[in-house]
Amino acid sequence: MDKNKLVRQLGVIALVILIFAGLDMGIYHFFIKRVISHHSPGMQKMSVEVSNYVPFTGSQNIFSAKDAAKLEGEIPTIDGAAALLPMYAGFVESIYPSETVILKADGYAPESKMHYTNTRGAYKDIVDGKADIIICAQPSDEQLKYAKDNGVELEMVQIGSDAFVFIVNETNPVSDLTIDQIRGIYSGKITNWKELGGKNIPIAAMHRNKGSGSQTALEKLMGNEPIKPDYTTLFGSPIGFSFRYYVTGMLGEGGVKILKINGIEPTVQTIADGSYPVAGGVYAIYRKGEKNENVRKAIDFMLSPEGQKIVEQSGYIPVKSV
Amino acid sequence: MKDKTFLIILALVTLAGIGITTALAIHGYRLWQSISIVEMIANWR
Repeated sequence: MDKNKLVRQLGVIALVILIFAGLDMGIYHFFIKRVISHHSPGMQKMSVEVSNYVPFTGSQNIFSAKDAAKLEGEIPTIDGAAALLPMYAGFVESIYPSETVILKADGYAPESKMHYTNTRGAYKDIVDGKADIIICAQPSDEQLKYAKDNGVELEMVQIGSDAFVFIVNETNPVSDLTIDQIRGIYSGKITNWKELGGKNIPIAAMHRNKGSGSQTALEKLMGNEPIKPDYTTLFGSPIGFSFRYYVTGMLGEGGVKILKINGIEPTVQTIADGSYPVAGGVYAIYRKGEKNENVRKAIDFMLSPEGQKIVEQSGYIPVKSV
Repeated sequence: MKDKTFLIILALVTLAGIGITTALAIHGYRLWQSISIVEMIANWR
């Protein structure tokens, strides 16, 4: 009797241990294994090696115009999207006095004339007056509303373009989707890769934070079709989205595959000639009525042959032929 | 094993399990906040 009781007690303890072990293994397999970054610690704010794009450090990743005239007087504070850092780091290195860029261990100093936040932070900062020029993709409706609510009108000057791309794990056999299929995935009408010629596995349609440049690009692509929140992302095979150069140039990420859209691969050529269907503009944005003449001078430089060459050399598509 | 001993062991095992699981989940959440969508998809086999 006592022996049977002991066996039952040990069985209950073993069962509890097994339940927790199973739970922990599930958390590791479905979650932690997927979010372990191999980028250097401390530089993962956007998973971009920010140290590769600090102006005036001799970085080989920054392309700048060595002979360009430096701005004088009141230097405008510049900020922008993470995906566009190489471009505006090149502008800064070309026309900003080196002493105006102040980088500390935890990021750019508040008094620095170059900042590096992200699309959401940049749009907030230009409305709040903490930035004078931002380099970003188009604003979201919420960002435009925030500007309007604060009595700020934004001027947008297109200085380049890049492709909005969809990515899957490199093991996913699907390589090509149509825009309607993308809309079907993000509206929840298409839920399994089998429907798209892939394996019989659910589609984990991943999203970005609201207000990020790529989430805004998705919202614009979807038009009036509502984006369905996805609560099953842990169990399927993923699809996500970003901007082309962020994937191919900045992260240099192995393990992902950029999908063709309507049979067109996003290349410099197909973006420039308009055949890739979801290219997006890159804009220099400033406050309407800006008094600092250096804001206009900086944007003129971005549109000059030297500036457009920086756009091209940095991996994006210029708006004017170089 | 006395009932009291059994219950104490069971409570300790349960507490340890909850602690480890919670720590693992918090660790994962922090990693998730710092990783890009691109890198996550690359890891997602």
